[in-house]
Amino acid sequence: MVKHHPDSNMLAEYSANSLPAAQSVCVSTHLDHCTLCQQKLAQLESIGGVMLEDTAPVSVDPQVFEDVLLRLDEVPDDRAANDANASTLSWTVKQVRQGNLDKLQWKKVSRSLRIADLGRIDGATEFSLYHISEGGRIPQHNHSGTEMTLVLQGGFSDESGAYHAGDFIVREAGDVHAPAALPGGDCICLAVLEAPLRFTHWHHRWLSPLLQLRAG
Amino acid sequence: MVDKQGEGARGQPATSAWSVPQGRRTDEWSLCVVRMAEHRDRAAFAKFFAHFAPLIKAFALSGSSLSAAHADELVQEVMLKVWQKAAGFNPEKAAASTWVYTIARNCRTDMFRRLQKFDTQLEAEDVGFELEGHEPTSALHAERGAQRVRELMNHLPQDQAQILAKVYMEGKSHSETAAELGLPLGTVKSRVRLAIQKLQVFMAAGSEE
Repeated sequence: MVKHHPDSNMLAEYSANSLPAAQSVCVSTHLDHCTLCQQKLAQLESIGGVMLEDTAPVSVDPQVFEDVLLRLDEVPDDRAANDANASTLSWTVKQVRQGNLDKLQWKKVSRSLRIADLGRIDGATEFSLYHISEGGRIPQHNHSGTEMTLVLQGGFSDESGAYHAGDFIVREAGDVHAPAALPGGDCICLAVLEAPLRFTHWHHRWLSPLLQLRAG
Repeated sequence: MVDKQGEGARGQPATSAWSVPQGRRTDEWSLCVVRMAEHRDRAAFAKFFAHFAPLIKAFALSGSSLSAAHADELVQEVMLKVWQKAAGFNPEKAAASTWVYTIARNCRTDMFRRLQKFDTQLEAEDVGFELEGHEPTSALHAERGAQRVRELMNHLPQDQAQILAKVYMEGKSHSETAAELGLPLGTVKSRVRLAIQKLQVFMAAGSEE
């Protein structure tokens, strides 16, 4: 049972396509697993529908209609069927949403931590998957920006609680935590960082450059 | 009866060349889409176009970030998608206007990305979520939901309605909205939340919100 959801502001932004792309991937992947948020989304989109219908119309040149008529028989290009797209961001996002995580490129960072960098995406400093082995933990760190996390498999706990598959968590800049995988299996999370995270203990500082995959 | 209360306050003057029967207006548009899907009915398409194209153009020009030429291009793309995706439309899950809104919203996002030459090849649909194909919508009664939102919208305080227009018509993020209106981000966020509460958006979802 999913317990942690995007808040209504974030869902509203998502429903109007005004959330940055990486955050949208997190929200859409959460939606794939959360019927409650699916229903909320449908309702929020209806605000857009009502506003569209109530807006003052702007006249359209009749030529536009003629042009569309000529194109009605076009066959829409099916990007999904095109395997040449493999490894593009669009392909990567699909693997994440479908749970085909083995197809992604993983890097071993420590004994209990592997990271798959999902690529550059507008606005996000880091957009990646974290794989924490059962019993492992990520060194304590704080954030200089907002961190958004979606649990894809297993679960983790930190100072503020325990999170399970489907849970959607936002940490504001300044929050300090040291997430540890819950017993019972490995934990995989999708994470979006607005700014690189900083490890708080000097002996973990060397890790930072490895985690700042997108920096520079 | 889905009449527009307040006699076309923001209404359509001459667009209703065909007579709207007693029935529910949006149902009429849903029917158009169903006819397009089932019979490839071009007359239904023409009727749908006459009503929605001017609204989509208004949507394209909100926030005035697109030129008139691009707005026409957007109208064309959206209407073409309407024709192509008609079979995926489920009148039980969304009102026709909501469905068109989601298509227009996605086309505009993709157009912005093309025009701004973003380096990522990601399309709005990659990160979108379509209710179609996902089962448990409970008794959403899309039509009634949209109808209730429309009625309650008329009673929204101006400052909340203004923010919703920024978010939904102009596609502005909360922080862009805050910057443009010279308001603190927290104020924008709370106005959006208040508006959502007043529109009783989440009542059907049975949420704690």
